[in-house]
Amino acid sequence: MAVCVAVIAKENYPLYIRSVPSQSELKFHYTVHTSLDVVEEKISTAGKAMAEQRELYLGLLYPTEDYKVYGYVTNSKVKFVIVVDSSNTSLRDNEIRSMFRKLHNSFTDVMCNPFYNPGDPIQSRAFDSMVSAMMVQSS
Amino acid sequence: MAQCAQSVQEFIQDSFVPMVSVLCSEDAERVTRKNNLSFPELLRPFCRLTSEGHLRDPNNQVVVVKGLRISVTGVNTRSPNSGEVRKLLSQAVSGCQPPEGLPANVITAGDYDLNISDRSVKASVPWYSDWKEMLTQLSSSKYYTATTPWFEAYRENFLQSMPASDHEFLNHYLACMLVVSSREAVPTEQFLKLSQEQHRIQHSGEYTYPKWFIPNTLKYYVLLHDISDGDEQRADSVYEDMKQRYGTQGCYLLKINSRTGAAGPDEQMPDPWSQYLQKTNIHSPLYITIIFSEVDGLDLSDVVSEIHPLKLEQSADPGFPGNPSKAVNSADTARTQKQGSVTPGAAPTAHGACLTLNDHDRIRQFIQEFTFRGLLPHIEKNIRQLNDQLVSRKGLSRSLFSATKKWFGGGKVPEKSIAELKNTAGLLYPPEAPELQIRKMADLCFLVQHYELAYSCYHTAKKDFLSDQAMLYAAGSLEMAAVSAFLQSGAPRPYPAHYMETAIQTYRDVCKNMVLAERCALLSAEVLKSQAKYSDAATLLIKMTSEDSDLRSALLLEQAAHCFINMRSPMVRKFAFHMILSGHRYSKAGQKRHALRCYCQAMQVYKGKGWTLAEDHINFTIGRQSFTLRQPENAVAAFRHILINDSKQTATQQSAFLREYLYVYKSLSQPSNEGSLPQLPLPCVHSAQTRVFFGHEPRLAEGEKQAATHVWLDQEFDQEQAQLWAELEEQVVAVANRGSVHISFQPTQYCLSSHTENLRYPFAVVEEPMFVEVVFRNPLKVPLVLSDLSLLWKFTTKDFSKPQGGTTGETITNEKEAAAGKATALNDIISTEVIPEFTVGLEETKVARLKLLPHKTGELHVLGIVYNLGTREEDNSASEASQLMFVRGRQDLEIQGPRLNVTKEEKTSVRHGPDRRLDPIITPPMPLLEVFFINFPTGLLCGEIRKAWVEFVNVSAVPLAGLRVASTHPEFFTFGSATADLTPVTPTAAEHCSAYKTMVTPPSDAAVTLVSPAAFGITGDNRPTVVEIPLTGGVLGPGEALQIPLWLRGPDREGVHEISFLFYYEGLEKNAKLGHRVLRHKAVICASRSLSVRATACRSNTLPGRGKRDEREEERSGSMLVFVDVENINTSEAGVREFHIVQVSSSSRQWRLHKCINPAGDKDSKLASRERGKLCFRATRCRTQEATSDALEKYTFADLNLGNEQIVSSTTPCADFFFRRGPPSEPRKGGVITVGGLLRRQSLTPANSTDDSMTSIVRKCSEVELDIIVLWKAYVVEDNKQLILEGQLHVALQTIGKEACSLSQKEEAQEMVLLKFKPDLPPPASRPSLEQLSHLIKTCLHYPESYDHPFPQKSLCMVPVTLTLSNCSLAQVDVIIDLRHKTTSPESLEVHGSFTWLGQTQYKLQLRPQEVHGLSLKACFFQAGVYNLGTPRVFAKLAQSGTMCETSQQSAMPALIIINSV
Repeated sequence: MAVCVAVIAKENYPLYIRSVPSQSELKFHYTVHTSLDVVEEKISTAGKAMAEQRELYLGLLYPTEDYKVYGYVTNSKVKFVIVVDSSNTSLRDNEIRSMFRKLHNSFTDVMCNPFYNPGDPIQSRAFDSMVSAMMVQSS
Repeated sequence: MAQCAQSVQEFIQDSFVPMVSVLCSEDAERVTRKNNLSFPELLRPFCRLTSEGHLRDPNNQVVVVKGLRISVTGVNTRSPNSGEVRKLLSQAVSGCQPPEGLPANVITAGDYDLNISDRSVKASVPWYSDWKEMLTQLSSSKYYTATTPWFEAYRENFLQSMPASDHEFLNHYLACMLVVSSREAVPTEQFLKLSQEQHRIQHSGEYTYPKWFIPNTLKYYVLLHDISDGDEQRADSVYEDMKQRYGTQGCYLLKINSRTGAAGPDEQMPDPWSQYLQKTNIHSPLYITIIFSEVDGLDLSDVVSEIHPLKLEQSADPGFPGNPSKAVNSADTARTQKQGSVTPGAAPTAHGACLTLNDHDRIRQFIQEFTFRGLLPHIEKNIRQLNDQLVSRKGLSRSLFSATKKWFGGGKVPEKSIAELKNTAGLLYPPEAPELQIRKMADLCFLVQHYELAYSCYHTAKKDFLSDQAMLYAAGSLEMAAVSAFLQSGAPRPYPAHYMETAIQTYRDVCKNMVLAERCALLSAEVLKSQAKYSDAATLLIKMTSEDSDLRSALLLEQAAHCFINMRSPMVRKFAFHMILSGHRYSKAGQKRHALRCYCQAMQVYKGKGWTLAEDHINFTIGRQSFTLRQPENAVAAFRHILINDSKQTATQQSAFLREYLYVYKSLSQPSNEGSLPQLPLPCVHSAQTRVFFGHEPRLAEGEKQAATHVWLDQEFDQEQAQLWAELEEQVVAVANRGSVHISFQPTQYCLSSHTENLRYPFAVVEEPMFVEVVFRNPLKVPLVLSDLSLLWKFTTKDFSKPQGGTTGETITNEKEAAAGKATALNDIISTEVIPEFTVGLEETKVARLKLLPHKTGELHVLGIVYNLGTREEDNSASEASQLMFVRGRQDLEIQGPRLNVTKEEKTSVRHGPDRRLDPIITPPMPLLEVFFINFPTGLLCGEIRKAWVEFVNVSAVPLAGLRVASTHPEFFTFGSATADLTPVTPTAAEHCSAYKTMVTPPSDAAVTLVSPAAFGITGDNRPTVVEIPLTGGVLGPGEALQIPLWLRGPDREGVHEISFLFYYEGLEKNAKLGHRVLRHKAVICASRSLSVRATACRSNTLPGRGKRDEREEERSGSMLVFVDVENINTSEAGVREFHIVQVSSSSRQWRLHKCINPAGDKDSKLASRERGKLCFRATRCRTQEATSDALEKYTFADLNLGNEQIVSSTTPCADFFFRRGPPSEPRKGGVITVGGLLRRQSLTPANSTDDSMTSIVRKCSEVELDIIVLWKAYVVEDNKQLILEGQLHVALQTIGKEACSLSQKEEAQEMVLLKFKPDLPPPASRPSLEQLSHLIKTCLHYPESYDHPFPQKSLCMVPVTLTLSNCSLAQVDVIIDLRHKTTSPESLEVHGSFTWLGQTQYKLQLRPQEVHGLSLKACFFQAGVYNLGTPRVFAKLAQSGTMCETSQQSAMPALIIINSV
């Protein structure tokens, strides 16, 4: 499904980035980083009026030639970005949503770990395997 | 950025200007040539009209034309072909670089929300303040030129190089100037010729170029008159003639060259041509090439080969009106070419040399005249004509055309396939087609700024073209419609952005004309930007990027990036990303400088935000670009960043980075070899963890000699240990200074680390080495090789022997030598060790020890390290090459001291103290001691005595004195008492002898010796922790050695013991800097269990009355029974076979062992494993006269040997160890604790003084101070050899009846204590324990053992019994004796039978201190049998304490009597 999954901290530095074709890792880094602009724009435009009932799922951030970038922002302003291959047309919005929900749940678990120091890169194996499960399906 | 000096309106207006061609006669050309200018060039600076023009539109409305610009070019100016255009544009861009300073540096800091918006960005952000205002400021200020000037240069050049196209007329020639010189023989004829020529060019069809707007082009006749050498009257007359012929509006007399001579050097003439010729040098490619090849590092050979002038000449196509003699252009080229090659810099100054300011005015006047009189009326006329045509044709033709279309062409069906559209895109209308007429009119209107009419015309034309599916034409109309809609002032209709979009799309996709699409995009983006629709503009620009032109893509991406940052909520990351894309394109296009600038700008955003992969990529690119641009400093800095940070790159990537870095670095550092060495980024040096050690490297054991461990870098710092050593040193210093420690005492530190206090300058001794341990960490996954690693230092010589701190010499440093790689020159001052190769593995932390050996006194500062950094090549074949891949550099060691936290100021701010670890003071020579131990054991049995040897060697050149040793375990060792003769026997000779001094005597009564503890160096109660070691003459000379014996005794407790020795010594002459030195040794002894000795003392019941007189006397003074329980608790199966108790000695001030009263036949006293033996002794008080004689302090040693050898316990080492024994274990627990507690209580209740005295009396009574020394031998089999080990154990008896043990029961003491949160209840009363009180009176019954009595005769048997009472205490005691039987249990009655005491049943006595009282009693028996007489109960109390009740005294032994019946 996904070709790249990223978790970005409130301060916009990466907590976690995984991408499937590892040779184009740099490209995905750039893509994800650039998408933060759109995320920020979406939050700032939608956010002010109804900050409370803002939906966490931001939907499609922008399409590129080869990929679609989806965003999700938790209430603590942690951003999740999922990059999906454009050719994968079977993917519905609902599926993306559920992916994000799974990601969020797993992320919450990571945060609940008393040995995790908030702000550190995520190294949890459970999280990793969850992400790989999301990615493996694509191939 | 991305804003230009012109407003958008101006920009668009200037993009489309009326074009005027020039045809020049040869003579006229010569006239202008004097000024180094061609005629069009001459006019160029004056082509913008300053005044307003007017014209009437078809509806007779007046149209005001403001700021019109016309473009004058030679008629045969050829539009360059696409390849050339590309080159030219590229040169224009590379020639236009941002101002120096800002982008040339790698920007190392940056927070993208702040620093990205430098001045120019801020200025261009529309909401930053009023946009217009800012714009005017921008254009007026000289500091803010256009912020992306390269883009504007590109745009300008691009628009100028636009080829004229058939579908639009905007850049077709509207008019033609025919220029003839007044010197011509027949100017009119010449005019005619030129006119014909023009006609030929336009109408003959020979040339596809240039293109002409309208068939009957405006011809404007100009007579050029050279004032300096022409006949003015003739010119005037010719002009009159011309007026007649062409009308006043169609001709002009232009007089120039009024300056006669060459301009004086002092005269400053404005040169308006220079900027135009600089900027518009499209027509002289080589000229530009030369200039820029000098400016930039552009590849010259490339450019030259492609745009060679010769090639240009050859490639002149037939479409070009090739008349070489007249070709303005080629003449131009040749001229500028010449100039360029000869004096490119001086060329601009030569323009207009013959022109005065008056001439300038004349030219300006001429242009104005031409425009207003000639051009505008011409345009006006044409508009009217066209309008009329259109109006007349409108109703009919339109419908007709469309009708025919419908009938024949199938009509305009919207669902036409793309393929068809493509076909029709190429559709060409004939030049006179009516559709084109309307477009023509629109273009004319547009040129004269009548945008309203232009818009409606374009709109109409668009419809027509669309209906005809003439896509190219339609796109053109759409584009212009949009532009004119935008330019309409007054009531503007909304800008039709979709027109533009459609136009661009059509140009690009249908017509495949990227140039037009690009123009369209540029215009549209500009318009959108002006309306703050940045996002749209960015999308537009990004869409225009394509593979066919890298330069264009780069420029457009950059502009798009600027759009992103200009958005209301700036999209910084998009900006950065597009900057990177742009930079990439720039580098592909060969614009290295621009590429670097882009990457640098993007870097600001990515920097330090954790996006390391991206950051590394950017840094790497910056590094490469900088290097190719010959900015190695920046390249190095960029590469450095990649390497310093914790890189997440793969190993191969890292090694590539590293190699690149080394390469760049090498190329950088080579030229500047003399200067100071550059700082290297790798490997990381943890300077805070640097350790410094002063002294020699420790020697390993030499044979049997074992050197003192001392201090070395391998030892980890241990706070507790350090504390311990410091305390020991303080003790020994106190002893050495007779009890006082100087206030500024500082423990000696040999090894300085981050844990030690480094506020003072450490001291190092001359000719003694110092080691600096540097911690390296390699963050990379590639091994690093450091070679020729050594320290950098700075040294100031000082002679400390002189007063006043000595004389300061010069400061020397080895930085230069180290840079050169040969550090030998200064080795006579300080020898610097060089480590030839040092490898730090991947991601490894490793320490290097670097040695310095100072040869002079002074102040040394270790500055840093110097080394060659290289990497290991994987393949061995390239080892030769890899040798070159290293660079020499340094890293400084800067250690920050600890944070200060004393004063308030320090607490509130962050301040750090100094750290002087690396700045030692080299002091004059000091003695240096080395200590060796010979036969020093590692394992001992508990209490084992072993003799070892110790050797002191003075290895320095200075005599040594005041040798002392302090230890944490003084009970562990002794050097022997002062009385013992120290004649050194060699260690080998003494190997198998006993450590003890022995005498052969059969076992008998105890031999007694009286010894003063002072003889063993013991004063007072304290155990000596510091021992002075006697030296012959008090001095150990240089190189001398001293060997003395050393006795060791195994610790009492089993386990591993660390025993610290601190040897203290000083020099003979006082050194101001260093008072003393110390040497540390730590011995580890493993003690294993041997014997456990338990002893009890009992009061003996025998009382005076029997035996010999002297014995009696002794007993009178008191005697005790001492039971010694010895158990073999050795557990090791292999080692010890059996223990022999050789001797038991006692040592006490009051008591002594008197006699062994063991049952006979148990003499051998062997103890095999886990066996237990009991020994009984009688102890007596020492003689009183002895005790009272000289000193109570003297100890009586009594030896009771069980074998045939007596060990003299009063000599070394037995007595030594006795005196050095640990504090008695007893007082810590048991009954005495209550005493302790009692004393504590007493302080709380001072009123209880009677109790106090009473207690002490009571205690005294049961107190005994007797130490038992058990000497043993152990038979050990080791390696099939039998060894005999000896040892001694001490038991301190303190209380009668209390068991004392040689092993302190640590286990019990460590019993877990419950935490109590409530205070203890106070103990009920402060009184002596019952147990103690029960010892006040000693009782004894005297009676015949058996008594015969004839019961048949006499039924009652009466036996006299004496009860002896002895008061043990030193106070009066009231005693009550109760003879009544206790009626406790009937059993006891049965067992003992019953008898009765006769007479008084209760006695009350008072006994004086130490009194013995006999009480005669009578017992009465009724029958024969065995009776226990021990029934009397004795109660006692101290006489003074009235309140207390009597305590039952300890009952005596059962006293059995046998009554026989006879």
